[in-house]
Amino acid sequence: MAGMALMEFLNRSAQRRLQGAPFYFLLILATVITLVPIIWVFASALKSNKEIRESPLALPGEWRFQNYIDAWFGASFDAYFFNSIFITVTSVGLVLILSSLAAYSFAKMRFRGNQLLFFIFLFGMAFPLSAKLGPLLSLMYELNLANSRFGLILVYVAGSLPFAILMLRAFFQGFPQELEDSAALDGCSRFQFYLRILLPLSKPSLMALGIFVFMGTWNEFFQALLLINEDAKRTLPLGLTAFQDEYFTDFALSFAGINITAVPVIIVYIMFQRNLIEGITVGSLK
Amino acid sequence: MAHSLSAPRKRAVGPRFRIDLMPYLFILPAVIIYVVFNLGPVLASFFLSFFRWDLLTPTTEFTGLKHYNFILNDDRFWNALSHNFIFLGLAVVIPVSMGLFLAVFIYEIRRGRVFFRAALFLPAIFSGVVIAYVWKWIYHPFAGVLNPTLELIGLGAFTQSWLGNPKIALYSTFIAYTWASFGYSMVIFLAGLQDISTDIFDAARVDGANFRQKLFHITIPCLYDVFTFVITLRIFTAMGVFGVIYILTGGGPFYASDVIDIYVFRMIGNFEMGWATAAATVNTVVVVFISTGFIKWREWRSWSS
Repeated sequence: MAGMALMEFLNRSAQRRLQGAPFYFLLILATVITLVPIIWVFASALKSNKEIRESPLALPGEWRFQNYIDAWFGASFDAYFFNSIFITVTSVGLVLILSSLAAYSFAKMRFRGNQLLFFIFLFGMAFPLSAKLGPLLSLMYELNLANSRFGLILVYVAGSLPFAILMLRAFFQGFPQELEDSAALDGCSRFQFYLRILLPLSKPSLMALGIFVFMGTWNEFFQALLLINEDAKRTLPLGLTAFQDEYFTDFALSFAGINITAVPVIIVYIMFQRNLIEGITVGSLK
Repeated sequence: MAHSLSAPRKRAVGPRFRIDLMPYLFILPAVIIYVVFNLGPVLASFFLSFFRWDLLTPTTEFTGLKHYNFILNDDRFWNALSHNFIFLGLAVVIPVSMGLFLAVFIYEIRRGRVFFRAALFLPAIFSGVVIAYVWKWIYHPFAGVLNPTLELIGLGAFTQSWLGNPKIALYSTFIAYTWASFGYSMVIFLAGLQDISTDIFDAARVDGANFRQKLFHITIPCLYDVFTFVITLRIFTAMGVFGVIYILTGGGPFYASDVIDIYVFRMIGNFEMGWATAAATVNTVVVVFISTGFIKWREWRSWSS
């Protein structure tokens, strides 16, 4: 009897494993096709120009890390890195502070115009980016904020606020009212409640939102291209275009330049993969 | 006596009629930045498209529909918009169905879900600039990898100038776009799948439903709202595609891969602000019309069935 049951069990688990096999096959195939371009760019960055031209499919004969050093010093990558880090970190910080304050108010406070003001924020998500570019450029010149890192931060924060407020409002609405009531009984003001209770309890959501905004801001290109025209103020995506324009005949250096721009994003992704995907999906399913 | 009695009562009632400023103070900083640097320019773009612009500065000279008259009679404008429509038509089918199938495959397996999800999403984390340069080198006539690969697998007849041929340049940029966007559809579908009660799938298995039956009779109907969201997202990205095309072809060769955002950007670069804002306004109307029309249609369909 026991033997029969064991046979049955093995049979079924083998069947189940076999049932999964086509899915594994297709997933592995898809993963290889998806990752080959990235692997190829990384491999090419270690080759010599001659190798790239003569055998583009081969692996590097000898790993030339010198390409990275040459690429780094071939353009102001240190400045691009500093600008990208400064602009992105400041933008993310501002978005988290401003959107959590506003979302708390929208989710938990009663006041005239709550619905209307929230709708005005939602309104901003319906427009394509190009809908604001002309007046934005002249506004930035008018305010002396064109070609300025600070100006770019303000534009990025303004662009991220609608989604951030939408997401945090939905999250804060899930908080039980009793929590706020008992805090109020203990003499906790609404700002103290926000600072000491709401924010600490919302850490996972703030992380997900923060990483999501981080990626969007770090990768942004269109508005930076429009508003920044000084090499020392370029962000990484802008800097990469300048670098590629200058070294388009030096294949190995071009590949290394792509990787210098891509590696930080890959590192952040590996560290915060779950938070990022949560930021994308939580916003979409509510 | 009556006076002194009523006074404290009045005070107790008073605060209820005073406007509570706290909610507004919490919102104020966000509103200021949002209105000045986002909503304001959007509305200004609409109103100022009816005025003459002197380089960057709008004048008070009302020009009525003059800019619109120019834009709507400009072949380049329609050329660019038609390319956005081609992108849109392809984008709502190809990356969306790729994302759906990959999500279903990941859902069906037991081990390695997190790995496959993370690996397949990887291209979606990059800037459009990085994506464009990766593909620019894949397509490159001397250093590229696509043509040699085709020759290697016996498809040498298909080798060509992927970005230089006006007939296919747009589609070459679409491949780069797809590479970077199917991951979004995939993770959203996967999250949607994990929200479906496993009881339904268990019941289907007991009834002996096969993969295709499960897909068409359970998965796709259950993901109705997720589909609406994923496709809406594609509408916005396809109508607003910029970085990938700007770097791969610049809209060329001979405007063969031009799209609206590149058209608007070129107008701004030439300080043709009147035309730029008019074109942007027409594009906005088209995008809002398509996206809200699509969402309403989906709501109506789910309500009526």
